[in-house]
Amino acid sequence: MNVYTGKLAQILQRITGVLLLIYLLLHVHTIRELREGPAAFNAALATFRNPFFKLLEIALLGTVILHALNGVRITLIDLGIGHTRHVKLFWYGAVGFGLLLFLAGAIPMFLQGVLKV
Amino acid sequence: MAAIEENQYRVRVARSASSGIATEFAVVLEERMTVLDALFSIQRNQDASLSFRCACRVGMCGTCAVNINGVPRLACRTRVKTLGTQVVSVQPLPNLPVIKDLVVSLEPFFAQWKKIKPALRPKDPASKELVRVPHDSNYARNSAGKRDCITCGACYGACGVKESSEEYLGPAAINRAYLRLLDPRDSAMKERWQALNEERGGIWRCHTQMNCTSVCPKGITLTDTITRLKRAALSPGQFENR
Repeated sequence: MNVYTGKLAQILQRITGVLLLIYLLLHVHTIRELREGPAAFNAALATFRNPFFKLLEIALLGTVILHALNGVRITLIDLGIGHTRHVKLFWYGAVGFGLLLFLAGAIPMFLQGVLKV
Repeated sequence: MAAIEENQYRVRVARSASSGIATEFAVVLEERMTVLDALFSIQRNQDASLSFRCACRVGMCGTCAVNINGVPRLACRTRVKTLGTQVVSVQPLPNLPVIKDLVVSLEPFFAQWKKIKPALRPKDPASKELVRVPHDSNYARNSAGKRDCITCGACYGACGVKESSEEYLGPAAINRAYLRLLDPRDSAMKERWQALNEERGGIWRCHTQMNCTSVCPKGITLTDTITRLKRAALSPGQFENR
């Protein structure tokens, strides 16, 4: 597993990159409703208030965190830092620390957005 | 196949005669047995037609590089016990054409190697003077740990970019070019940079997967070499004052 960690990291970076691009297109499409006035924009936002979109929002948080932290890891490697520790950088830095950040954000989002606690 | 006894391993070897489908052999494990020893045992006692390459048997020549349990390694430096599996899968190196069984042609590897002009092109070919390279010189410092390449092809086999790009130079050739660029005696900097900067085959194709660094049996940090060259390409002149 350790040998091909870099390959796995690259595949994940590409997948999360494409997912973020899809989100960005959807985001721009929604913002575009502002041209039609406040009522149209509010109507567009109302679509995203149901629990399904809240779950997608939680998934978006995970995608952003993994993409960002792995991006930091790649930048460090490009700067010549951590070449001999790249596996640990991925598993502990991007995945481990990322999971902590994800849980810190996802739990309140789930409780408030989906369970309405 | 007979039941596997204790201290017996199953070695699954890819065979070219059956289009790469593996044949399984039971091998009795001896203390400190390497994968190369296991292959010899199979060849001597079970199937004399099994083909594989080896020369020095001490990890110096790089001839016996094969794919062991999915990872390119030197068969002579890989102890069966350390693999931690009862079934050991041995395949030819990926990204290279198979000649027979575990023997691959290194022709594509050396075709890329030649592109970076691997030989020294001295600034003064007529000079008989030996050039002194002090241990604290720029060359000695920057090339430390990168001069031990044995051209085994493990990095070439592990490279994810090589899987999809025939033009890519591969980590070993790039590392060689880096050593020549650092060398104060060398004069072919321009030609080497041309090959390294090439759009489809040069350093920019590397995606920093670091598979090459992970599998290099000599511990050369090949991805580090590539990232150093990328940085040098962005700020030219770094190799001018060698």
